[in-house]
Amino acid sequence: MDPKIQNPKSKMQWAMVVDLDRCTGCEACVVACHAENNIPTVGEEQATIGRAMHWMRVERYYEGEFPDVRVKFQPVFCQQCDAAPCEPVCPTYASYHTTEGLNGQVYNRCIGTRYCANACPYNVRFFNFYNPVWEKPLHLQLNPDVSVREVGVMEKCTFCVQRIKAAEIAAKAEKRELKDGDVQPACAQSCPPKALVFGDLNDPKSEVSRLAGSNRATRLLEELGTKPSVIYLRRESWNDGKES
Amino acid sequence: MQRRDFIKLSAITGATAALDGCGQPDVQLIRFIPEEELTPGVATWKPSICTLCPAGCGTLVKVMEGDAEVIRNGKLGLMKMGLANKVEGNPKHPVSQGKLCPRGQAMLQVTYHPDRIKHPLKRTGPRGSGQFQEISWDEAIKELVAKLQELQAAKQQASLAFLTKPLRGQGRELIERFLGAYGAPPPVMFELFDESVLRRANALSFGRPQLPTLDLARSNYVLSFGADFLGTWNSPVAQSIAYGQMRQGRPGQRGKFVMVEPRLSQTGANADEWIYARPATEGALALGLAHVIIREKLRRPEGAGRAGDLIPGWLEGREEFPPEKIEMQTGVPTATIVRLAREMATHPPAVAVAGDAPLAQTNGLRTALAVNALNALLGSVEQPGGILFTPLPKLDGTASGHENSGLEGAYPAFSRLASRILEPYGMSSGVFSGSPRNAQPPKAKPQPLKALFLYEANPALLTPADVPEILSKVPFIASFGSFVDETSVHADLILPDHSPLESWLDDIPESGTRLAVVSLAAPAVRPLHNTRAMPDTLLEIAHQLGQEVSKALPWKTYEEMLKEAYGGLWKQTSSIEATKADEFWAQIREQGGWWSSEGLAPSTRALKLEYSFGSLLKAEFYEEEHNFPFHFLPYPSQLLYDGSLAHLPWLQEAPDPLSTAMWGTWLEINPQTAARMGIAQGDLVEVTSADGKLQAPALLSPGIAPDVVAMPVGQGHNQYTRYATSRGANPVKILHPLVEHETGSLAWAATRVKISKIGEGKLALFGAELREHPQEHR
Repeated sequence: MDPKIQNPKSKMQWAMVVDLDRCTGCEACVVACHAENNIPTVGEEQATIGRAMHWMRVERYYEGEFPDVRVKFQPVFCQQCDAAPCEPVCPTYASYHTTEGLNGQVYNRCIGTRYCANACPYNVRFFNFYNPVWEKPLHLQLNPDVSVREVGVMEKCTFCVQRIKAAEIAAKAEKRELKDGDVQPACAQSCPPKALVFGDLNDPKSEVSRLAGSNRATRLLEELGTKPSVIYLRRESWNDGKES
Repeated sequence: MQRRDFIKLSAITGATAALDGCGQPDVQLIRFIPEEELTPGVATWKPSICTLCPAGCGTLVKVMEGDAEVIRNGKLGLMKMGLANKVEGNPKHPVSQGKLCPRGQAMLQVTYHPDRIKHPLKRTGPRGSGQFQEISWDEAIKELVAKLQELQAAKQQASLAFLTKPLRGQGRELIERFLGAYGAPPPVMFELFDESVLRRANALSFGRPQLPTLDLARSNYVLSFGADFLGTWNSPVAQSIAYGQMRQGRPGQRGKFVMVEPRLSQTGANADEWIYARPATEGALALGLAHVIIREKLRRPEGAGRAGDLIPGWLEGREEFPPEKIEMQTGVPTATIVRLAREMATHPPAVAVAGDAPLAQTNGLRTALAVNALNALLGSVEQPGGILFTPLPKLDGTASGHENSGLEGAYPAFSRLASRILEPYGMSSGVFSGSPRNAQPPKAKPQPLKALFLYEANPALLTPADVPEILSKVPFIASFGSFVDETSVHADLILPDHSPLESWLDDIPESGTRLAVVSLAAPAVRPLHNTRAMPDTLLEIAHQLGQEVSKALPWKTYEEMLKEAYGGLWKQTSSIEATKADEFWAQIREQGGWWSSEGLAPSTRALKLEYSFGSLLKAEFYEEEHNFPFHFLPYPSQLLYDGSLAHLPWLQEAPDPLSTAMWGTWLEINPQTAARMGIAQGDLVEVTSADGKLQAPALLSPGIAPDVVAMPVGQGHNQYTRYATSRGANPVKILHPLVEHETGSLAWAATRVKISKIGEGKLALFGAELREHPQEHR
């Protein structure tokens, strides 16, 4: 069943770099993700009990007390781990590893055990407790490129796999290789300060590869051994122009 | 069984009831022949313009074929049509540069909102009851024209007022021409966060009556006095793009950002340093910094030019304002003032910017002038890394409009609103204390209104005045908006606009770029409902009125008007290389506008201050500290802006950046203050000003000064679609109507309040429901 056995050589290793020194916490990525991926809104009551679905969220941390307060924003979404804790726990193989390094989620296979969400240390999986509702004609805003999930199904960030596939098909039709920057997930596309950069980590010349080599690079909860594909670049302090 | 038998049998037994779908009206709907050719599954990206805030970002709309229920010739049916399913920034557009803020992303939900007005409406119940009945367009326009003719017959044309959100470009030109030819005064453009004080200050200091463009990308030092430039202020997308560049776009060179404000905004949260200066003393701080820079001979005072001349004693280094004295006023330590001044002067290019709350004080103009002088002293005006002024396109043709289209002319919004609409009803001096000092007395005393036209302005939500009471005295009200809100619910007649994605759009951005820009877009999708674009409705009304009015507006459609206004641009140098007008028109539509490095600098005519800067920066608050110990700070919501976007579920459920709150309002309190008063997170708190009270759950935040409480504007609608009605509280309603002394702009940050705990509240926090910090000690 392991697709890696069938395709031992994977060309792509999709990854996202999040530059925390650029991120302004504006939430453009959050709304862009909703629009692109047909994520339902659940309403105030469900949101109050923690069932709001945001594949992409911006975490906010305060440090210090008035007047010496510092704030940090940190966008968090599925880290597309190479050693993903969500995958082996799925009894139906709904959570699986794609050949391009993504943590796939096959909605048709999902039976809603929620084991994956329990196993995920990043809290980025969201469960459909009810069927999603788009009050007419709000359903017309739905993106036909992305399936709508039903009650009892787990969902999460896909790195906008539909955009990856579309770019691959377009490149193939034009008989060329994918170029760096051809694929833009909705969040990275919208991000005004360009805090989110997406690309192929197997391509040493890609922008993500260059940024991943930064001395500011770190990964979330690395010590758990999950090998995330999301690389965070630490926020800097003003050091008066001196090299840190 | 034969088919015939089956039908017979099922007719008897009712077996068909079990057959899913047969009873569904969806399946019975007739199919209309598509009006456009589309390839299923293939997306086309069409240029459009975001109209949700005044920044004027160019967008691209992803349109794909889909099935929609539409009404054609009075019949409901299904039609294959292009449907918008994603909005992104237009990469070619000089303001948005391919990026978009969260609000712009939600543009789709305006078009597909379930509570959009779908056809013309006529009031049936009492005023404000929200009871309307559907009428035809012919009836609606006939009724409106009859009303206007009635006023003409009685020679009361001047008693018509047009109240709209701020408009630029030909939309504004059209309304002004209409009113001018009809004989009514110019439109009143109203918005709460209108920054008219800054426009006035820039006109005085630099001869530029417009908001500045911040060249952050090339700055090394940014000092903001309250301006939420990464969130909602001015041109947030352009500014955020430049901010990213300032931080990490230049290897080895990272600019510093210092924020001066009483409550850390989303923008302030990104600052390297947060400074709290007591409310309304920001201008004093700016002059203190200037004093140190001049005293230490880091810059010569003459360098500030005209902006410095406006400030008495400038050349002498404002000797009465040494940092020690500024510390007493602002609460900012002397050492900090001296350090900031030195840092700014030694890290060029450095830029200072003022906006939002500091300018919404009674001394706002002087604060802005002080910051302008500091900027000029630093040599940052019209210089790389400083502030720039966006040039305007040179338009010719009959529909060219005035050279400052969209700029100072319509402002300050609040004083126009007050003098035109509120004051004739006795709402003047008694309620609006401190009328503008240099206000021109109106040529004629405004008469009470006989008719009022509304277009997407909502003073009932966004002024402290009792607007429903005033509206009840206006004999006739018509609204052109797409939604029923607390102002337009009082309308007698509603002639609903298309959504922006369904309309011809044009705009002339005031800031956010160094180029002269005309944004222009054809409809991205066909209209879903029986609506008409507001400009086209006005043209039709003008046509039916005949005489002068139809002569002033000779165009059949708004498209024609746009073509005439902007078609002549092809002769000028720009990114579009066209040799013929038609070719140009096709290209400008395809590109989403026209931009050129050659533009018209806005007027530099010298506005003079006719008073001295004597009693510098003394601000007024209401009411006194003794009974009302807290400064009350309403602020624009990052997601709902001024509440005009509270009807969009994506924005209601997106977590606020700092509080992570969804679907509600809250009152931000410093944790130490809260502890002292026995208030815990989520407690219901009553906020009382001299003018009213409201209730909101407490949100403890270390990012707010102990003597300040803050609340986002945007909720507290009592009438605005199913998603926003009766949700949260509206801070504007408890403001005391103080105005900025010199411009008459509403001083929305000058009210004082007291607070008390009254029970348990409810907060929907996205952050609260996640497990313990997913990351620690990074």
